[in-house]
Amino acid sequence: MPRISEHVGIERKPKLGGGGPGKIPHRHGYGGGDDGDHDQPDDFVSPKDRLRRYRIGMAAAIVAFSTFFIGIAVSYTLRLGVTHWDEDLGKSVRDAHPLALPYIRLFINSFILIISSITLDLARRGLLAKSEFAVMGIAPPRFKTELPWLGITVVLGVAFLIGQIMVWNILRHQGIYFNSNTRSGFFYMLTGAHAVHLAGGLLVLLWALAASSVRMRFESRQIAVEVTAWYWHFMGILWIFIFGLLHFSRG
Amino acid sequence: MQNPVPITTQTTSTSWLRRYLFSTDHKVIGLQYFFLSLAAVFVGMLLSLLMRIHIVWPKVAIPFLGAIKPENYLAFLTMHGTLMVFFVLSTTPQNGFGNYFLPLQLGASEMAFPKLNRAGFWITLLSFLVLMAAFFVPGGASLAGWTQYPPLSAITAAGPGQGHGTDLWLLSIGLFCLASVLGAINFITTTLKLRARGMTMMRMPLTCWTWFVTAILTLLAFSVLLAAAIMLLLDRNAGTSFFVPSGLVVSGASVAHHGGSPLLWQHLFWFFGHPEVYISILPGMGMTSHLLSVFSRKPVFGYKAMVGATIGIGALGFSVWGHHMFVSGMSPYAGFAFSTLTTAIAVPSAVKTFNWLGTLWRGRIRFTVPLLFSVGFVSLFISGGLTGPMLAQPALDIYLHDTYFVVAHFHLIMAMAGVFAIFSATYFWFPKMFGRAMNHRLGVLHFWITLFGAYAIFMPMHLLGVAGNPRRYSELTGVQYVAAMAPLHKFITVAAIITIAGQFLFLVNFFWSMFKGASAGENPWQCTTLEWRLSSPPPQHGFGNNVPIVHHGPYQYGSPELNGRVAADDFLMQDAPANP
Repeated sequence: MPRISEHVGIERKPKLGGGGPGKIPHRHGYGGGDDGDHDQPDDFVSPKDRLRRYRIGMAAAIVAFSTFFIGIAVSYTLRLGVTHWDEDLGKSVRDAHPLALPYIRLFINSFILIISSITLDLARRGLLAKSEFAVMGIAPPRFKTELPWLGITVVLGVAFLIGQIMVWNILRHQGIYFNSNTRSGFFYMLTGAHAVHLAGGLLVLLWALAASSVRMRFESRQIAVEVTAWYWHFMGILWIFIFGLLHFSRG
Repeated sequence: MQNPVPITTQTTSTSWLRRYLFSTDHKVIGLQYFFLSLAAVFVGMLLSLLMRIHIVWPKVAIPFLGAIKPENYLAFLTMHGTLMVFFVLSTTPQNGFGNYFLPLQLGASEMAFPKLNRAGFWITLLSFLVLMAAFFVPGGASLAGWTQYPPLSAITAAGPGQGHGTDLWLLSIGLFCLASVLGAINFITTTLKLRARGMTMMRMPLTCWTWFVTAILTLLAFSVLLAAAIMLLLDRNAGTSFFVPSGLVVSGASVAHHGGSPLLWQHLFWFFGHPEVYISILPGMGMTSHLLSVFSRKPVFGYKAMVGATIGIGALGFSVWGHHMFVSGMSPYAGFAFSTLTTAIAVPSAVKTFNWLGTLWRGRIRFTVPLLFSVGFVSLFISGGLTGPMLAQPALDIYLHDTYFVVAHFHLIMAMAGVFAIFSATYFWFPKMFGRAMNHRLGVLHFWITLFGAYAIFMPMHLLGVAGNPRRYSELTGVQYVAAMAPLHKFITVAAIITIAGQFLFLVNFFWSMFKGASAGENPWQCTTLEWRLSSPPPQHGFGNNVPIVHHGPYQYGSPELNGRVAADDFLMQDAPANP
């Protein structure tokens, strides 16, 4: 027997508080779980899903890094217009002094960084292809063939950092220090912050390399290389942006 | 009647230290953040009490401190603001409750990056300890206010707290920025990737929406503050001149820096600082929407509009920072633009306010303590919000900027409303977090004392401000027209003492109920969202392998016929089967 409704007469659909009933959209992966490297029992998330998760995390991190550098870069461009009143000259002068950039060194460094991006991407692609097999559970994939590319990337990354230190030395020999003037301050700030960030990426790569001697799951290393590659490419693009900014604002 | 069996899979194999102290469990981390904020809020409250006493009785000696000197007053002011803004208002609603309940409400068992989460908490704790250490270094804590405007904050000679105290402040805030960004990455990834099957974005509870939007704001705002804090730290310690202008003379000595711009700091700081206001208040708005729906036994009025308003407030929040700088000598055209954009924020805010009232309208309201605090939030949000468009007018702001009017405005809308949201969330989720209910009578008493106290403290400050009483001064007894306002100041101080005393009711209720409260059961408030499917307190591994499948929206309350089905109760759990 049908239930007699209390609401007689008016055919009214119940109001729904957002998102009514409906079919469940298909999507990969759900629930939670840890990142797989420690001892929680509910690690039922597929490696593919973990990879996607780390990619989103890295994308968000890249947004944060961009904001950090854009904050400094915008400050720089604003500061270039600042003047102050000079008593001796009797007029207002710009605070920013022109900066002679060591272009040859900087171009060599840029070249090294671009090449390192390519070598790291070769490693990333190789590991990504292998991870497909790991997902299917066919065989424990070997990490070995990608090791040289990772090694070359680490060497190139270190070379870039050494190159940057040489750039700073060249400026120091010209008597341009961190606290010399507006342009030098922002020059060291931008290149220094970039170098620190790149060194961070380098540490992760070293960890992925060294992990071959530690017992570390293939997927974890593959993910580490994958997201570090994204980060590394971002660092490369950021470097080109910084170089361009420094060039066009050199005075 | 849906009679869900609470999920209680429990496998505890780890040691006590790994389980409760160095845990990667989002619930433990959420509670760690919560208790950190509880410590911070009482320190901050003590500082405000000392300031209020000093304003009214400047000669009175405080035990252990002696008479308060002007530099002490400024140090208290700085630390009160810093503690309350960073370690209470940005920490509790987002990192505390967000960490605990975002995964549970989404049907996930963990945050996306548990280790990152743990790192975030320990960096925040370190940041708190570094900040507190500033009280004990030579010269004491920083004097430059929570906004740390240079050149005062950049020059060591500018005051007693401007040496190590300010360095520690900057270090602490740098660490806090780092921890916040780590947390935000976690929140964004969790929301995007770890939702249970069927939990579409538009089926998320509004709390999750606000945590998500807040995380995006955190990501963008705190990175800029980190850059600014590093530059100021370099100005102080590496001799650079990012923020210190040429030809500055401080304490009779010429400063060696040249070519910097103090205004640049204001732009960078407020580009962070204004979104920070929304970082503090958006999760509170989400909690209020959520609780009003639960206790009115009605769906949220205008769910989609609420989501839109949340996103709108977040987006507009990045384009209005200039309204903090109307008196900095900015171009009138820029002032006009900032003024217009600021006034525009009133639109999504009004959408939210009317939707809250619409949710309450003709609901079958259950007058629980969380509901009282949520209604209190709406009340304070309106009272504090109405002065917002006034201060957004440059012509008015130039007069009111450095007066108590601004103090009243931001304390009502940001501090009091934010704290009311925190209280409502605490009373609401306490049964879930500890398995026991908080005492109702004590809670109601606490609510009325706090509500009357909040209005008694901050409403008269509007009058002080309009009458021209400047803020940030430790003592103005010699000034004729300010001295005339002494009785009002005395009233405010007495109200503050009573209100602060009332907070101990909360503290007693909280800790007493934690151990002795009545057992709560898994769904005492009859809510629909997924965290109430778990036992109270939730098992260590959350849903474990029983991940729920979501079939319904989050606010299915009130109608006996929900989705065309016969429901014996007046609500429908989100994971109730789609077809009976």
